[in-house]
Amino acid sequence: MKPILRLEQVSKRFGGVVAADDVTFELMPGKVKGLIGPNGAGKSTLLNLISGIYAPDGGDIYFDERKITQTPAHKRARMGIGRTFQTPRFLQRSSIRDNFLLGTDLGDKLGYFKSYLGCRGSDFDKEFEKLLQITHLEFDWEDDINSLPFGKRKLLEIVRAMLAHPRVMLIDEPAAGLNNKEGEYVMDMIRYASREQGIGVMLIEHSMEMVMNICDDIVVLSFGKVIAKDEPKAIATNPVVIEAYLGEETDD
Amino acid sequence: MNFNVFVALTVNGLAMGVIYALLAMGLILLIRAVGVMNFAQGDLLMLGAYITCWLTVDLELPFWLMVLVALLCFAVVGLIFMFSVYWPLRNASYPAATVIATMGASMVLKELVTLLWGSLPRSMPSLVRTEDGSAAVLQIGSINLQWQYVLTILVGIVIMALVFFLFEKMYVGKMMQAAAQDAYAASMLGIPTIATIAVTYIVVVIMVSVGGYMIAPIFMVSTTLGSLQLRAFAGVVIGGFGNIKGAIIGSLLVGLIESFSTLQFSSYKDVTVFMVLIIFLLVRPQGIFGERIADKA
Amino acid sequence: MVNGQRKISLGTLVVFALVAAFVLIVPSVTSGYSMMIVNLSLIYAIATYGLSVMLGMGGMLSFAAVSFMGGGAYWVANLCTGRLGVSMEPWLALLLAPVVFAVVGFIIGSILLKLNGTYFTFATIALVQVAWCLFQNYRPLFGGPDGISGIATLEMFGLKITSYTQWFYVLAAITLIVALLVERIRRTQLGRSLAAIRDNQTAAQILGVDVYHTKVIAFTIAAALGALSGALYCLQGRFVSSDMFTFERATQFIIMAMLGGVNDTFGIFLGSVLITVLPESLRVLQKYLKIVYGTAIILLMIFMPMGIMGAIKDGFKKMRRKKREALMNVAREVKP
Repeated sequence: MKPILRLEQVSKRFGGVVAADDVTFELMPGKVKGLIGPNGAGKSTLLNLISGIYAPDGGDIYFDERKITQTPAHKRARMGIGRTFQTPRFLQRSSIRDNFLLGTDLGDKLGYFKSYLGCRGSDFDKEFEKLLQITHLEFDWEDDINSLPFGKRKLLEIVRAMLAHPRVMLIDEPAAGLNNKEGEYVMDMIRYASREQGIGVMLIEHSMEMVMNICDDIVVLSFGKVIAKDEPKAIATNPVVIEAYLGEETDD
Repeated sequence: MNFNVFVALTVNGLAMGVIYALLAMGLILLIRAVGVMNFAQGDLLMLGAYITCWLTVDLELPFWLMVLVALLCFAVVGLIFMFSVYWPLRNASYPAATVIATMGASMVLKELVTLLWGSLPRSMPSLVRTEDGSAAVLQIGSINLQWQYVLTILVGIVIMALVFFLFEKMYVGKMMQAAAQDAYAASMLGIPTIATIAVTYIVVVIMVSVGGYMIAPIFMVSTTLGSLQLRAFAGVVIGGFGNIKGAIIGSLLVGLIESFSTLQFSSYKDVTVFMVLIIFLLVRPQGIFGERIADKA
Repeated sequence: MVNGQRKISLGTLVVFALVAAFVLIVPSVTSGYSMMIVNLSLIYAIATYGLSVMLGMGGMLSFAAVSFMGGGAYWVANLCTGRLGVSMEPWLALLLAPVVFAVVGFIIGSILLKLNGTYFTFATIALVQVAWCLFQNYRPLFGGPDGISGIATLEMFGLKITSYTQWFYVLAAITLIVALLVERIRRTQLGRSLAAIRDNQTAAQILGVDVYHTKVIAFTIAAALGALSGALYCLQGRFVSSDMFTFERATQFIIMAMLGGVNDTFGIFLGSVLITVLPESLRVLQKYLKIVYGTAIILLMIFMPMGIMGAIKDGFKKMRRKKREALMNVAREVKP
């Protein structure tokens, strides 16, 4: 099987700070890759590089064997790179419906025009029901997005990203700010995405329990450098990793 | 071009440039302190012109008293402006709200002066006059210069130097920059942000009002003075956003371009100035200041 | 479900009732000069709808509406006087104005929207100044300071539109069409994409929104609406001169939009009418009205930045939420 996402010696610096240093790894479809490391290790930067918010200073990124290093972010999204944020990002003052309809059918050059003329977008009701079932969400379509509590909004953001039929999902700290139950739903969702839909998932998460539980393999970053790549069990006992984390704790 | 004409145009251009520079410098100070683009900047200058005109012409105050009262007025205006148009909006949810509030302020200021002093343009005597009261001329060799233009340049330079010193070099300025960059950290260090912001507003209003005072005898005192801010905007952009030195040089450049373009196509000077602005924005949005000036110097 | 039809809400009905009342009542109580002022407010509303797309939906502060309005006005003025040796039926010139300036707007927008945020705003200010200066001075195309007069009368379906009351019906119809078109934008993918750009550009890209392209489309629409408004202005007054297209006028459009509600279709109309008509009908207060407006804008920005309509909508939303919460509380009490 070919990797769906491949990073080759990707680096990025901000002024004097190296946020990504020669990062190389690949992600297989249907697998979950954990991305862990101390605060400021460059995890979110890496996701931003993959989704195209930043351009790398060196190295290349491949999606489905195609080089996408120079591809603008919106095109990468349309190719099938989905992404969620630490704090969910929605349209303010808009209904949940509008928030969901945004981001569907944008791949089309005449998308705006078709939508204007009332051509129906993709009918994803069935799929939607399935996703809402996994996340145990209930709400009124016409409600303001901000009337939902933080945890629900976070789950909704994942649902929205899933509806765009991604082939790679980049999930940034999904469990932060969620209660235990909602955390479970996130895990169910990630399992559904990878095992059943064959999506390659990259997961940044601080909850070690979740990472150890769900990831097929883990990449450990420290100061932008990959310091370990292995299976969860091996990572847990890797002395280099333990040192990096202990170092962080004494710093704090 | 005749040398005398050249000198006269340069002096006129620099005098106008200095006025734009005062406005532009004030804009940058406000952007730095509170991050707000002020669309009432020119109207503050206009208000300064009206206030000084009122003190000089209507009340006939002696010069020193006029300066004192005027400064007091400007400071009050600065505070009122800050507490009406900025302070209640500092946490506004809609990003353009603060900017649009300054447009509202611009409208209020224009109407306020017409209500107070009528809609007819008022004339203001020059600072240096001949015995019959008309504007005096400075003669150097064969060159004739209006005293008012020369004085405008001098006063403008002095004020800009003072403000520059206050904000860039002195402790007050350092504190203000700290407050602007990180309000929370600054308040932890015991720097009261509200005070530093208030000082910024007062200083800005004083400097643009003095600009209004200097320019009043050259133009008439009227609400159209407010539109001078558009040239200052051009100066800010040409000089490089957020950079005081750049804004000053950009504004002087605008004054000079404007002055010299009157030679060729006097009615199209706006086209020249603002085409230069657009070209700058597109070719070099970071402004001229920095490398290019350094390259040539 | 998600693609389901929305119900027609009570609010929509109220708005339609108000609009119908406006169209039916106004011509019977006004005429002559005051009718002309009402017409002017509709003409301004059309240009301000463009601003609603730019600023309300997309969050881009643009002053350029007046310049395109000028463009549309001089386009009609030149073609309907035959002063350049070419003449055209007024209705055709009117119809072509938005098309031609959509193209012009697309080109200018493609250039200016390379710039972001405040830089873009400054570029539009510069555009306004350049255009105004050309309008005022370049005689061959714009008639210079004297402007252009003697423009042919608009004739539609064999009917000459001459009186201000006739014009009112024409303008009301066009404004209504424009308003519906703009409302449709808000409710479809383009409006949503613009809202995404306004709220968070990065998140918009991640969802697949082509930020630059979408902004250019919005600018193009605003340009077309500006030109339409200008063309109508010129045909109604049968005269055009540069003092219509100043930076101050551009500010006035922004204030109109903000007063009524920049992201609300009815709000735009409301703002235009309030700013244009009230000063004329309240002559006594006229002296103070602009101060009142200026102050109102500041207060609005402080207390309700989405304008009058935004405030009303927020109020209704809160009421709905409270009602539902009350219902849920009842349900909770019943359950155990």
